[in-house]
Amino acid sequence: MLESSADRTPYWQEPLPEDDELAQQVAHARDEHLLVDARPPAETNSLMFRAMTRTGPLFWLMVLGLGGLTFALFATWVIQMFYGLGITGLNRSVMWGPYIVNLVFFIGIGHAGTFISAALRLMRMDFRRPIARLAETVTLFGLALAALFPLIHLGRVWKVYYMFPIPTQRELWPNFRSPLLWDATAITAYLIGSTLFMYTALIPDLATARDHLTGWRKRLYGALSLGFRGTESEWSRLETLSNILSYIIIPVMFSVHTIVSWDFAMAIQPGWHSTIFGPFFIVGALFSGVAAVIIVMIIVRKAMRMGYFLREEHFNAMGIFLLILSLTWVYFYFNEYIVTWYGNLPAERAILQMLTTDASPLFYLMLFCNIIVPLGTLWSRRVRTSLPAMLVIAVFVQIGMYLERVLIVSGFLSRNELPFNWINYTPNWPEILITIGTFGFMALLYILWTRVVPIIPLWEVHEGQSRQRLPRIGRAIVPTRTEPH
Amino acid sequence: MAQEVLLGLFDNLEATTAVLRDLERQNIPDRNIEVMSNVPYAPKVLGRRPTRQWPFLPFVLAGVLGGLAIALFIVVITPRLYPIIVGGQPLTPFPPSAIIVFEFVALGAMAGGFIGFLLQNRYPVLVRQMYDPRISEGYIGVAVRADDQAADSVADIFAAHNAHDVVREDAARYPVQSRRFLAFWAGLAVVGLLALLAPLLLTYNIIDIPWFNQMRESPSIGFQEGPRRAAPAESIPIQGPVLINGQPATEPLPASEESLQRGQLLYEVNCAICHGMQGNADGSMTKYFPEAPVLTTDRVSGMADQEIFMIITLGRNRMPSLAENLTVNETWDVVNYVRALREAGQ
Ligand code: HEC
Repeated sequence: MLESSADRTPYWQEPLPEDDELAQQVAHARDEHLLVDARPPAETNSLMFRAMTRTGPLFWLMVLGLGGLTFALFATWVIQMFYGLGITGLNRSVMWGPYIVNLVFFIGIGHAGTFISAALRLMRMDFRRPIARLAETVTLFGLALAALFPLIHLGRVWKVYYMFPIPTQRELWPNFRSPLLWDATAITAYLIGSTLFMYTALIPDLATARDHLTGWRKRLYGALSLGFRGTESEWSRLETLSNILSYIIIPVMFSVHTIVSWDFAMAIQPGWHSTIFGPFFIVGALFSGVAAVIIVMIIVRKAMRMGYFLREEHFNAMGIFLLILSLTWVYFYFNEYIVTWYGNLPAERAILQMLTTDASPLFYLMLFCNIIVPLGTLWSRRVRTSLPAMLVIAVFVQIGMYLERVLIVSGFLSRNELPFNWINYTPNWPEILITIGTFGFMALLYILWTRVVPIIPLWEVHEGQSRQRLPRIGRAIVPTRTEPH
Repeated sequence: MAQEVLLGLFDNLEATTAVLRDLERQNIPDRNIEVMSNVPYAPKVLGRRPTRQWPFLPFVLAGVLGGLAIALFIVVITPRLYPIIVGGQPLTPFPPSAIIVFEFVALGAMAGGFIGFLLQNRYPVLVRQMYDPRISEGYIGVAVRADDQAADSVADIFAAHNAHDVVREDAARYPVQSRRFLAFWAGLAVVGLLALLAPLLLTYNIIDIPWFNQMRESPSIGFQEGPRRAAPAESIPIQGPVLINGQPATEPLPASEESLQRGQLLYEVNCAICHGMQGNADGSMTKYFPEAPVLTTDRVSGMADQEIFMIITLGRNRMPSLAENLTVNETWDVVNYVRALREAGQ
């Protein structure tokens, strides 16, 4: 095509083809794909901003309920500080209980965020566009909450500085070479990196919000958007910076969960001391992380009426992603299992036995949630595009992955080389309340966040829309992406 | 000649590129033209030369070096200031050091790139800028800085291409961003450094405050240091042979008639096969335990009760421990009987 007819009108006003049949195909493609269903940015912007500023009674009710859970978390923590860790069910052998499970779990769901944003961005997967920020937010709060758990687990939290590798006159020098130091370093690096990554992509949207909102919001967004106007040079620098951050943050992301796994694998505790733990944890993290993003997508779509942005195609893509991750997880789990089983060392035999006896309900439920549910359903497009089904599956995966960590942390610890030291673990109320409270806290932070930042990256959606065309190939209209770089 | 700034808003790319072409023909220098849009358009798309930008590399490299410096401080210098050997490893072993170095270098690179981004864009912008909120609604803005004469022709060009709207103002109202923003970052950096430095000064004892330290002040009690306390009333009673400092923790039983009777019975069951019915080392197993001694010797009668108790409980050389066969009291019965053997033999 020599004549670019499309560009004489804005990209959101492409005329329908004359031919009836083709026009119908175009209409159908618009129904299906967000990126060819361009609407005036003024309209999509206000769709987002209306949802952001609307805080109905239901919203405040949610805030109240989740605030209650958050209160339960902190109140329990204070009580636990007062009476000591003795009020938990932790014992001599199982000294790492749900607190460490939560640490691993929340770092885990924090993984998908950056992966979806950074990796899919570099691979130019367009389905990430409306999802990216939802996912990054999961990362941000997941990591922040995960960082809470070492503190909760400490008992005397005011002595936390004893752990820092900072020698003082207390004449107590922690081990500078301990995996816990690697862990703290990696999580900090990842948290800061993710924040920068998220903020970079947020600047243009904050500028848009500055232009279209009033009052305190205008002032806030005006300050945060730093004076962004969308000039060519600003865009090109933004692009370069996003690429740089993406390339760096992917290896950091891999390092984080590998190091979390090393917190376990570096100990000679049977069941933990395994070379495959690093990649195994990463896959598990991505698996639960993608499931978490799916849950968030569904809730945001329903609660904020984001049906325009989050469409079946996105759930479909995420469903496929989840399916692949489930398969990968199965592969790793089996790998881990068979080596242990074949080795048949006494202590590890005791662990495998524990899985099928004392802990068998948890073990089989985990296998059901992580294998049977996703592998049995996600191959079907009908399931992947049905929101209720996806919600149920994603929740199952969360349960399964939570149980997996429970078994690895408090399960494996209950069996060791010294049979007199085999102590099963049951949680007491503090752990249960703190865990539930944390989920509430996470949800609270999330819903407040959705009212403060545009949770869908508007400019990325608009960018994608400005680059999609619907050329005719033969008798079919085919969405095509252009790459004007 | 007074300078003016003009902003034309267009709703499509075709018009924008036509305007840019015409501006170029009017010899308006490239650096005086800015195109603003709500989505990134590559310079190629707009028919403009690629935007000039400083390379990011120096910033990223500076960040890398900064991260490296922090990492090396943690993995090389700190362990030497306060050396503790762990696991027989050198003070700076490679694998853990590599991890710390990796994380800090990555963090430094990201932070460096981000700082480069902020500085190149001269963020935060503290001056008035030519802008229109409609740009984030999809209009493409072309801002041109020109003297009054050229400004008129620019306005004509905008009009000729159906500009949606044209804003025309005195350039004096839109000063170029000065270096004030640098002062902003410098101030922030100073505050940040101080916040970081203060705890470090305390940490590394450059400012030394004698903190109250419970752990150091608590009384130190040596291993097994006395006085021994009596066992609490609710403690579990001792069953079976318990030895403290190699001595039985129980009292011998008096050598009563009953004790000797029980002792004989137990001796015949447990000991006689090796030591013989009368302690003469002629039991049925002597063939295999030729070294099993006679128990009526002076040697044995010279032994303390405790010693015999210990031999029975712990065994000795090839004599097996019989702790599992005999309870504590039964063992004392046997001890009494062994003592009685010699009198019986005489
Ligand atoms: C399996 C054979 C066996 C049995 C059963 C046995 N002993 Fe012995 N006993 C020995 C041997 C062999 C020695 C020599 C150990 C050594 O080399 O010092 C010994 C040593 C002794 C001694 C030390 C004597 C000395 O002169 O040093 C005493 C006392 C003794 N036995 C008491 C008993 C009593 C009491 C019982 C039963 C409760 C008993 N033994 C059961 C094999 C046996």
